[in-house]
Amino acid sequence: MAAAVAMAALCRRFTAALRLSGARPGSTLAGLPGLRLNLFHKNLAKAEPLHQLKFLHTTLSRKGLEEFFDDPRNWGEKTVKSGDAWNIKQLRGKSSEDLHKLWYVLLKEKNMLLTLEQESKRQLKPMPSPERLEKVEKSMKNIDLVVKEREIALRLLQTGHEKPVPGEWRHDFLGRTYWYSYKEWPIPWYLNKKYKRRKFYYLPHVDRFIRLRLEKSLRIKARRQNLERTRQKVLERKFPHLAVKSQSQ
Amino acid sequence: YPLFQLGGPQLRIFRPNFFMLAVRPGVPQPEDTVQFRVSMEMTKVDIKNYLEKIYNVPVAAVRTRIQYGANNKRNHKNQRVKKPDYKVAYVQLGQGQTFQFPNLFPEKEQDAEARSFDDFKDKYMEREKQRQKGDPRRGGVPDWFGL
Repeated sequence: MAAAVAMAALCRRFTAALRLSGARPGSTLAGLPGLRLNLFHKNLAKAEPLHQLKFLHTTLSRKGLEEFFDDPRNWGEKTVKSGDAWNIKQLRGKSSEDLHKLWYVLLKEKNMLLTLEQESKRQLKPMPSPERLEKVEKSMKNIDLVVKEREIALRLLQTGHEKPVPGEWRHDFLGRTYWYSYKEWPIPWYLNKKYKRRKFYYLPHVDRFIRLRLEKSLRIKARRQNLERTRQKVLERKFPHLAVKSQSQ
Repeated sequence: YPLFQLGGPQLRIFRPNFFMLAVRPGVPQPEDTVQFRVSMEMTKVDIKNYLEKIYNVPVAAVRTRIQYGANNKRNHKNQRVKKPDYKVAYVQLGQGQTFQFPNLFPEKEQDAEARSFDDFKDKYMEREKQRQKGDPRRGGVPDWFGL
């Protein structure tokens, strides 16, 4: 499981550009002179000099934790207006950096909405505009798809492989065929007791069940096709003027 | 995730999908402690890094526990319905910061439409109650009794 969450390219670029002696991005100690960088806000690359706060005692801005909650003007409203989710076509036009930043914006938005949902359940009040959650989740899924597409394309060009992890088709002990992707182990397979207990072959008595399964799937498919055909006929009978005119030779 | 062995590279996740939501503590907590519900797979180190890097919040200490969701409610088919488990993290903020969970549902003045709707509702309820009461000439006794 992850031991560190690092925004590699983004961090490195900004820190390289704005590093001062002894200043770390995100270091908010009032005593240290230097620049403080707010990386994950909408207007990025806004550096605020800190040395004025050297002799002031103030609580540092809770801008961090405030992001778990909506704009205070929206508290108590019945509905909050929000735009549509991000489309895949719109996302394909964005650069990888933009997608990266958008991902974190969406993640923070999702955290905020989940906080609001839980609080509304606690206070027994309706959550204002719950559709925002679905929009955010859809956008995040779309970003994931776009990034995966780009990764696959790059991998195909560089190595010729589509999948990140190699694998092969294998049978299980019930006769079913499935794609087994290789896993990383610290020991070879002949020392792996749990792996040796798994059977990637099936005995001859399973053939009958394979045939039964095949028949069942064929029956389901035939039933689905017949249903489709009868539905089409019913529609043609009801709306004859909308029937697709078949091209006659 | 790739297997880690001694001397191997540190695992870095570039687009974390882990959610974290702030909750109002059921039991009063000290001033600097914030209570979160986090994804089950997150560790204390993960939570610290998450808050520091993404939210720019200085974290002094994190303590976690897993809350078991009960499985004894039953649905209309008498099947047991499980409430999901979740991990709770108690995060103590660094640099002497304090946090008080805000009131996210303050009373707001209703607009004209809502007020008129409320008036209409009250009037309707009153009329219903009047209809329920019995005849005042017979002493308020319901019509069910008597002739």
